[in-house]
Amino acid sequence: MNKTTLSLLLQFVVLVPLQAVFFNNLVLFNVAMPIVFIYVIISMPITMGPNKAMTIGFLLGMAVDIMSDTPGLNALCCTILAFIRNFVFHLYMPTDADLAEQSPSIRNMGVAAYLKYAGTMVTIYCAMVFCLEALQSWNPWLYLSRIVASSVFSLLIIYAIASWARNKNEKRL
Amino acid sequence: MKELIAFFSRYSKWLVLLVYAVISLVLLFRSDPYRHHLWLTSANTVSGAFYKVSHNITAYFSLRQVNEDLNARNAVLEAEVVNLREQLNTMRLAGFTDTMPTPDSVSHFNFIVANVINNSIHHPQNYITVDRGSLDGVEPEMGVIDHSGVVGTVSAVGPHFSRVISLLNPNFRLSCKIKGSDNFGSLVWDGRDPSEAILEELPRHTVYSPGDTVITSGYSAVFPSGLPVGTILDDGRDHKENFFTLRIKLFADFSRLSNVQIVTDNFRDEIKIVETNTIVNSDPTKK
Repeated sequence: MNKTTLSLLLQFVVLVPLQAVFFNNLVLFNVAMPIVFIYVIISMPITMGPNKAMTIGFLLGMAVDIMSDTPGLNALCCTILAFIRNFVFHLYMPTDADLAEQSPSIRNMGVAAYLKYAGTMVTIYCAMVFCLEALQSWNPWLYLSRIVASSVFSLLIIYAIASWARNKNEKRL
Repeated sequence: MKELIAFFSRYSKWLVLLVYAVISLVLLFRSDPYRHHLWLTSANTVSGAFYKVSHNITAYFSLRQVNEDLNARNAVLEAEVVNLREQLNTMRLAGFTDTMPTPDSVSHFNFIVANVINNSIHHPQNYITVDRGSLDGVEPEMGVIDHSGVVGTVSAVGPHFSRVISLLNPNFRLSCKIKGSDNFGSLVWDGRDPSEAILEELPRHTVYSPGDTVITSGYSAVFPSGLPVGTILDDGRDHKENFFTLRIKLFADFSRLSNVQIVTDNFRDEIKIVETNTIVNSDPTKK
């Protein structure tokens, strides 16, 4: 088991229960719900094959779904997010950059590009989740404000985790 | 054959996407919550254990509120005991005790006390996880109440944990009536405010005014009759329809549920047998 797999597994085991037990209950003003576990998908190595990425995404979403009783919702959105991940990444980063076995991080991409990449991913994810929820209970203004507020709140926390991970890595070096 | 393999390997990522998407969509749109497999609900052993641990930590923060609720509830019950005792004495004085049959309503329903270890109010379909399961006598379709009113019904039961369909879930419908009248309607959540629900299909000739109490009708083996549910909020009288639709302010505060009681009906099996027999007997084609 190499280092990438180990850190992926660690993120999975820590972030899924944390999402279910803590972040799902941290809803501000009834609109801003932090969706933090997609940090796993955001920081998967960009060279990882799409099939493997989607499988990890599906299992990740399924685990969150089981714990928060939303069967299929996060599994579907995580699979799609893992599918479009490379496309979003290359919107902000050149394709010919040397990225062998590297994960998208603040250190590898720089603050601006990382914020753009993570922000796009988070916004797409929140839009998918809340549009699917809106299908079950028609209330456009509520769900529109949830998409906006949750994207901002989630990005804040994900950026905090990413910069914490960078500091930890720099200390180690 | 070689071309087929080449085809699959070229489009493999689309196939994988399709397979996962179809599985997810089936789970997402299979709406009957009673048919969810136990392992696909929060009542399974692993997530139950996680929620139990986090509940053990966070439960301390709400102890003061829980204590206040219990004190208030205690005061109400105390007053009821005094009143009943007085009535009993009056009747005893009147010499009715020998001739009057004693009602057996006390033994009709029992309660299993449970802790809420997970709860959601922000989804379109909300569920609650409690720390009692089949080993404690919980069965699917039992009613769940707390000190202030109706909370939901049990849908999936594991050995140690159960998942409850919250009242804040459109799959849950509750037969209710307005206190003091016999007309009943159906209470359902409309997905908007976690403190409000809709009482629909109430016959037009029902007399009511805002502020009236809504209680359970008891027309099911799930809840005893007369449990408080909420109060009527507004006069949503729509004169075109044959039925009234009213907004109800719920008594139960779903944002801070802590202790709940699961209602077990001692005559449940008997009622079920009677109901199925009646249907068979009243069928005119079967003679």
